[in-house]
Amino acid sequence: MNRLYERCHTALLRAYPASMRSRFETGMRYAFSQDLDHARARGAAAVLRFCVTTMFTTLWFAMGARASRAHGNATNSGDPGMRRFITIDWRDAVRSLRATPLVTTVAVLSLALGIGANTALFSILNSLTLKSLPVRDPQQLALLKGGWTNPVWEQIRARDRDLAAGAFAWSSEEFDLSSGGQRDVIDGMWASGRMFDVLGVRAILGRTLSESDDVRGGGKDGPVAVISYGFWQRRYGGEASALGKTITIQRVPITIVGITGPDFFGPIVGRTFDIAIPIGVEPLMRGAESWLDGRSTWWLDIMIRLRPGQTPLQASEALRGWQPAIRQATMPDFRPQDQADYLQDPLTFESAASGRSWLRTRYERPLKTILIVVGLVLLIACANIANLLLARAVARRHELSVRLALGASRFRLARQLFAESVLLSSLGAVCGLLFARWGSRLLVRQLATPDNAVYLDLSLDWRVLGFTIAVAGVTAILFGLAPAFGISGVAPHEAIKEQSRGVVSDRRLGLRNGLVVLQIALSLTLVVAAGLFARTFLSLNGRSGGFDRDRVLIVNVDVQQSAAGPKERLDLYERLAESAAAVPGAAHAAVSFTSPLAGSGWNTDVVVPDNSTLEGRKRWTWVNAVSPGWFATYGVGLASGRDFDRRDRPGAPLVAVVNRTFAQRFLGEGDPIGREFSTQEPRTTIRYVVVGLVEDAVYRSLRSEMTPTMYIPFAQWDQPSPIVSIGVRAERGAPTNLVRDVADALGRTDPKAVFSFRSLSDQVAGTLAQERLGANLSTFFGALALLLAALGLYGVTSYGINRRRAEIGIRMALGAKGSDVVRLVLGRVALLVAMGIAAGAAMSLWASQFVEALLYGLEPRDPSTFIAAALVLAAVGLLAGGFPAWRATRIDPSTVLREG
Amino acid sequence: MPLLMPTNREPDVSAPLKPAVFYILLALAEGPTHGYAAMQAVREQSSGRVPIGTASFYRHLDRLIEDGLVVEAARPADDDPRRGAYYRLTARGLRALAAERTRLARMVAAIDALKPARRGPA
Repeated sequence: MNRLYERCHTALLRAYPASMRSRFETGMRYAFSQDLDHARARGAAAVLRFCVTTMFTTLWFAMGARASRAHGNATNSGDPGMRRFITIDWRDAVRSLRATPLVTTVAVLSLALGIGANTALFSILNSLTLKSLPVRDPQQLALLKGGWTNPVWEQIRARDRDLAAGAFAWSSEEFDLSSGGQRDVIDGMWASGRMFDVLGVRAILGRTLSESDDVRGGGKDGPVAVISYGFWQRRYGGEASALGKTITIQRVPITIVGITGPDFFGPIVGRTFDIAIPIGVEPLMRGAESWLDGRSTWWLDIMIRLRPGQTPLQASEALRGWQPAIRQATMPDFRPQDQADYLQDPLTFESAASGRSWLRTRYERPLKTILIVVGLVLLIACANIANLLLARAVARRHELSVRLALGASRFRLARQLFAESVLLSSLGAVCGLLFARWGSRLLVRQLATPDNAVYLDLSLDWRVLGFTIAVAGVTAILFGLAPAFGISGVAPHEAIKEQSRGVVSDRRLGLRNGLVVLQIALSLTLVVAAGLFARTFLSLNGRSGGFDRDRVLIVNVDVQQSAAGPKERLDLYERLAESAAAVPGAAHAAVSFTSPLAGSGWNTDVVVPDNSTLEGRKRWTWVNAVSPGWFATYGVGLASGRDFDRRDRPGAPLVAVVNRTFAQRFLGEGDPIGREFSTQEPRTTIRYVVVGLVEDAVYRSLRSEMTPTMYIPFAQWDQPSPIVSIGVRAERGAPTNLVRDVADALGRTDPKAVFSFRSLSDQVAGTLAQERLGANLSTFFGALALLLAALGLYGVTSYGINRRRAEIGIRMALGAKGSDVVRLVLGRVALLVAMGIAAGAAMSLWASQFVEALLYGLEPRDPSTFIAAALVLAAVGLLAGGFPAWRATRIDPSTVLREG
Repeated sequence: MPLLMPTNREPDVSAPLKPAVFYILLALAEGPTHGYAAMQAVREQSSGRVPIGTASFYRHLDRLIEDGLVVEAARPADDDPRRGAYYRLTARGLRALAAERTRLARMVAAIDALKPARRGPA
């Protein structure tokens, strides 16, 4: 790596005037390598900082030295070349950019879009993966891999000061503030007593939680909570009197004792919290159903702060010493064979400087893919601007050659053109930053689904600014070099022999053609990507899933605040479902543990014969508890047998309805009705009789294959949870029309129950958020790339025709017909487009391997997508080239011949 | 503003030297040395307040050579050739440094001439 940096530096030294280089090069190289060694001793960041600043200053001073020598009189050191470089060139650059407002506007706009899109995505990736948590010394934080039960946490808490500098546990949960009716949800967090202390987060008002607050049933101050700055502003208008107020959550009054600062959003990146409550308060809310002693309830995340100098590996090793004791003391209700795994599964810490995030695992890869896409768009925009500037430089040949004839150096002219490029890209970067601020917020809103509110800290930091500046600098070099090279062919005498007539060919057109081929190739890649993502989304969205998504309203019911205890819940649910079914306009209503694609799941293993080939996950089945009429409500077809009915009560024989995949996998050939099977529960097996067979329907993901699913009667569910969903099928029209009536009916049945409403189609759309986002973004940028490529092709074609005006005029005077002219022009366009498509197809074939994981239902090298994309580009090429060709046929030979 | 004065005149006492230039002259005043050692001396003697980099160091050196304050010096026989050339002060360079010393001394004297109460916080 050192060698690489040194080589870069040596290459940059060439920018110095020869006299200075020969004198100082050895010393400069020596000084660079010495300083580089010093920087290496201070770490990678220091090396990077050193290299970037040195490269920049080297270039800067070299240009200054050149400028002062170019202005003659190098001996007169009173003439600072740097300053002249800055003042004079910028003024000229501004002047010439203002002279061609259309070109400037198009260039700045396409740059703003390109740079802005890159910055927007980068700022999201930055806050998702690069930024550290806004706490004290985030690099000292380490996360215990996995999710944990409270007994495990209590074991670790007892040892936290021996293990590391401190440990804490937390869990996110939505809390409902309403006392019945529509839900009023806030983002809650269960926090262990030392969380704020270990993170090093202070309250801006009041105090944070302490260990004495985190005892079962609440500490000496009773149940207390810390609220976030955002919640404080929203609910309490930022009034200091919020301290000491109580907030009632699930019938427990909780006292607000502190408010955290505006930049703290909790240990999870991608979310924020409204209220943090000590874990010890949990039994007050959940009563007998408390999770604190649940040995199989994996709800907590555990993080530690390492001691100075301690690595996550060392902490893991320290923990392994206690592992047998911890595991023994917290054994979950597992089957014996799984218990052995539990004892051995090693406890491991991993670095957690940037916090923990489900958003990161889910979106990091798609976002990086899109970052590449927008990078390509920016490249195309650069090629386009290079073309525009090149055309302008050539149009200014006369001016430039006059300047040359008057004694300006070529370096000075090139610098002049380059200054324009820098100015353009700076303008683009400034507009791009504004665009990015808006675009990144919009994007983050798209990442959110109804279940997962997304909060990301998108404030500008040095990384985002540095990224934008670097992108702007690279773009300036990319499109600035072309015109600067372009003038190398300008000769001083050209000013005199203007307006020559003849067959022209020059290498600037060669460069321009090359840029157009590059643009077309890149656009093809993007159009292919757009096609693949759009088809993925469409085929997922078009997948029926086995249920009727347009007719069903889903009501998520939470009865934790209801007077009905766990024993009376079954009865309450049935009454709620009946009252919903009685609403005018409702065809059916049924209650179930979960609804399709709701995100929650219940699975179990099916007992298979000893000689079965089914291993591990193949024995899995999803389970749902459903009330009579559920299949009709959701439109899941009953293939044979019967639906559940009033006979299937507690005490009656346990029955089940299974789907086709279940029947094929576990019940073999023949009619499954009347057959029996067992499921493997922690300590026992349960035997069911199959009474019905239904068609396959997806359970949790539209992407997965159909999975075995068994349905049990809701009434035979032994542990009905306090949160269930009621499906209401509308007789006709949109199911959301029923919301008001259903809410009234349910509220009358139990005023303490809490509801939220969503149509099944919204729920399905929510699970496709990622695919929809990918399809929308890639289509947008694909279209943008096409537009830019079309502009580029149009520009280069009409420029070519202008140059060949005289030639075309003469040809027509000699008898060439319009069709001949069109053929002449379009032949060239076709060649460019064909070359671009060939190059683009090769590039797409290579790049397609990286998107395979994001696709559904088609191959990454799907031939029809490739062919369609090529056809689209050919059509666009024909349009972009055809218009100038048609104009060429209007050239009047007599006018041309009279000219010049 | 000129960095240094044109070559045909003697140093002007009223024009202060830039800090970097001053420290470079100071470093070379101790005897002939190669470029990087002079750079390091500048950093050390200014206690890091003049964080000079390679490019700016050689820009100043270029000017100093052109103004005749510094010249290349003979390299010691056993020296590592990768270090590049050695430099030393000319008589003019020594005079420039002396002039800067005089200038600074006058300024210090001017401040000392103030009544003690007006020199600012002690």
